[in-house]
Amino acid sequence: MPGTLDVLILTALSDGPLHGYDVVEWIRRATEGALRIDDGALYMSLHRMEQRGWLAHEWRVSPKGRRAKYYRLTPIGRRHLRAGERNWRRFANAVASVFAARGRT
Amino acid sequence: MDSRDPLEPPAAEAIDSELEFHFAETVEALMARGWTEAAARREAARRFGDRGKYYRNLKRLERNRVIRLFRPEALVRDARYGLRALVRRPGFTSISLLALALGIGVNTAVFSVVNSVLLRPLPYADPDRLVMIGNQAARGAASLADFLDWKNQSRLFETLDAFEINRFTNSRFTLTGDGEPEQVIGYRVTAGFFDTLGVKPLLGRTFAAGEDAPGRPPVVVVSERLWRRRYASNRDVLPRPVILNGRQHTIIGVMPASFEFWQRDPEAWAIYPLAPPTRRGPFFIRGVARLRPGVTVDQAAAEMDGIARQIELAHPKDYTRLRIAVVPLREIVVGNIRPLLWVLSGAVVLVLLIAISNVANLMLGRATARRREIAIRLSIGAGRSQVVRQLMIESLLLSVAGGAVGVALATWGVAALHSLAPADLPRLGEIAVDGRVLAFTLLTSIASAVLFGLVPAIIVSRTALTSSLKESDRGGESRRQSRTRAVLVGAQVTLSVVLLVGAGLLIRSFDLLGRVNPGFDAPPERVLTMVVSPTGPNFPNTPGVVNRYWMRLLERVRSVPGVEAAGLSNAAPPDRNSFLDSYEIEGRPQPPGSPNPPIPIPYVSADYFKALGVPLLRGRWFNEQDTPDSPRVAVVSDAFARRHFVGENPVGQRIVYGTWHLEIVGVVGDVKYRGLNRDTEPAFYQLAFQYEWWDMWLVVRTRGDATAQAPAIRQAIRAVDPGVPVDRIGTMARALSESVALSRFRSLLMTVFAIAALLLAVVGIYAVVANSVAQRSREIGLRMALGATRSGVRMMVVRRAARPILIGVAVGLAGSLALGRVLEGMLFDVAPSDALTFTSAVFILAGAAFVACLVPASMASRIDPIRTLRGE
Repeated sequence: MPGTLDVLILTALSDGPLHGYDVVEWIRRATEGALRIDDGALYMSLHRMEQRGWLAHEWRVSPKGRRAKYYRLTPIGRRHLRAGERNWRRFANAVASVFAARGRT
Repeated sequence: MDSRDPLEPPAAEAIDSELEFHFAETVEALMARGWTEAAARREAARRFGDRGKYYRNLKRLERNRVIRLFRPEALVRDARYGLRALVRRPGFTSISLLALALGIGVNTAVFSVVNSVLLRPLPYADPDRLVMIGNQAARGAASLADFLDWKNQSRLFETLDAFEINRFTNSRFTLTGDGEPEQVIGYRVTAGFFDTLGVKPLLGRTFAAGEDAPGRPPVVVVSERLWRRRYASNRDVLPRPVILNGRQHTIIGVMPASFEFWQRDPEAWAIYPLAPPTRRGPFFIRGVARLRPGVTVDQAAAEMDGIARQIELAHPKDYTRLRIAVVPLREIVVGNIRPLLWVLSGAVVLVLLIAISNVANLMLGRATARRREIAIRLSIGAGRSQVVRQLMIESLLLSVAGGAVGVALATWGVAALHSLAPADLPRLGEIAVDGRVLAFTLLTSIASAVLFGLVPAIIVSRTALTSSLKESDRGGESRRQSRTRAVLVGAQVTLSVVLLVGAGLLIRSFDLLGRVNPGFDAPPERVLTMVVSPTGPNFPNTPGVVNRYWMRLLERVRSVPGVEAAGLSNAAPPDRNSFLDSYEIEGRPQPPGSPNPPIPIPYVSADYFKALGVPLLRGRWFNEQDTPDSPRVAVVSDAFARRHFVGENPVGQRIVYGTWHLEIVGVVGDVKYRGLNRDTEPAFYQLAFQYEWWDMWLVVRTRGDATAQAPAIRQAIRAVDPGVPVDRIGTMARALSESVALSRFRSLLMTVFAIAALLLAVVGIYAVVANSVAQRSREIGLRMALGATRSGVRMMVVRRAARPILIGVAVGLAGSLALGRVLEGMLFDVAPSDALTFTSAVFILAGAAFVACLVPASMASRIDPIRTLRGE
């Protein structure tokens, strides 16, 4: 389903600003490695969403002392996260009820 | 806090920097789990995927971003938003609009002149191949014999033709034979003249090849205006027999109204009969030729140089150091006016720059107030480029609207130019606001918007980005902003000073020119001058006829009540000389090859000096003893006496002129014949009645205002012979005024531009000072609460404003010194660094600037300290 990656990233950022590597690691951990996506595609998604105004960035020094680009949600991004979440739940429910219906026949 | 994130790498490195960080983190994490460094690196690269593809996608993303930035619906939305923002601030909008309209308007007006005079091709076929040919100088005249030599010996011209301007007749024809006799401006041309220029008649035909051969019936082509006036635009009028200068001619064609060559408003072009010349002279002919394709002007000039050497060898008595000038026609037509147009263009560009910096300043002042609005837009996810785009669209709206008002101003200004410009300004009739001018205006508007909009937009979007929303925004200006504003004020002052000095120098020149003594004592408004041209059947070429007419004419005119004196001359001051010629002093032959420089040699009647009030310094006037049969006599000017007879009495000496030996009988004061701006030059006068002259200036001194006497004098001339036309009638006062028309024109234009500049600068200074007072009202209130006096506050405000102004003045004065050199050719009797002009410019500017500061300063002094303390 298109936009899945975007929703995952928005979710990753919903608790506060993260840099790109943290986002990659957060998604790897959250999906327990089930999702096979190139890191490059994740970064593309970050750039695309920043351009649309969903994310903003600022450069900070990471805890390990490296200069890193931190992404955060903008109000527009937060709106898109909520919409994406709703769509996903609806989709997942729909798929679940399809499976449930098969079990009954 | 500075407006930039100090950690943010330059845009070009940000992508790499982010990836570098990512790989470093990944490799470190893997190594912590026991991977070797090499394996960790391979794994990190594998996880990232195709790096080339990543960069390509980013590039595409960037391209899409730019496309998205300029998609129509966003632009329309911004335009609508910008329009609302402009309407919400009518004060800012109207002042900016006015400044831009003024700046763009004067540029449009001047460009429309530059466009039609300098840029548009001359209205002939393939005009770049047309050249003028003359003896010695480009405008120099040659003889028919010269012309025939050129034509026979040159190879590089496709066609070579000639036209004859007869200086004695002031290039006028007398038209009789059908209806009222009248004088028309015109000249004679060889048969190929119109074809060389590549122009077609409106009606009938132009001359056919060979029609200028001797013995062919004389033909003439007339202008549309003459055809309309004399023949009521009758299409069946051709061919029409007329009498031109007493000879039967046939009108064979009518030229369109747009055709113009050499002179404004010529009305007739008669065929020049190429009768075999008997001598090398008179010098009335100029060549006009079309170069063969691919031939350069230099090549043609080199060829004519060779021809000049041959003419010189064949006629050593006639020429020494003969030079034949070959000059592009364009140079002849517009060469003289080009420097003035460039100066005017420069001046209006300065005016526009002042307007632009003014608007930029207002924009900056306003931007501070808009910082919150912009910060909000940024915080909800608008990119900085989107904010800049929005501000730029607002600027564009402003400047295009200003441009539209400017075009209206320019249309009006061009109409004003038509009426103000001296009549001899080339191509004046062609000046108009056309498509190219409008395109120029649009481009100027856009360029202006970029100049006054972009920098403020960037500064604002940057400061808004970092100034957080939480801060209680007092609307203070950043240091960078106030510095930018001070620099802008200084720049406006600089440019205004330069324009003021330029205008001042030209005004002084014009003033001094008006004070030049033209060389006669008669009050100019009481002297009437006109050309009288006795021609036609009553004036056969019989000795004595024309002189008898002149005697009767003078007698008749003198008897008109109110006339004090009347005389004749073939040249009149201040700039109506008929010709120049060289001469020798008897007993002092000039070395071969270096004749005396040519000087004006007017032929006058005895009373000419009395009518004008030219003083007699030595000897006697011409008088009754001097008759056509008595020895030839001359009266010399003071400068002539000083050149040749230092410490001697010129009276009794003889001038050798042609075959004549003229005895000098008197010395008179110097009169200007070639313009008030020329140095006094020698001249000598001959008695017209010892020769025969058909066209003369009649100079009449009246008791009262000369204009009032004009009808009576005309009546008297008609009474002597009703068939003799009178032309160019006017007072000497008008002639003097017309002779300085160009000087008046340029000083007037520069003054208009300087005033515009000054107004803009004053508005600019006022806006900045008022704005800074408004922003510092708390500080000022506190100072007053702590005991500062009102006058102290006023002083403080003025003192702070004075710094950029003073620096601007200093830079402006330096710039003016450079400008003076550009203007040098247009100045008369004024040094380009004229102290009086420079001081006046500084005082005018300082005074205006002081007033501009004073109003906001007194506003500041009225701030109520109590309210400030209460924190309102």
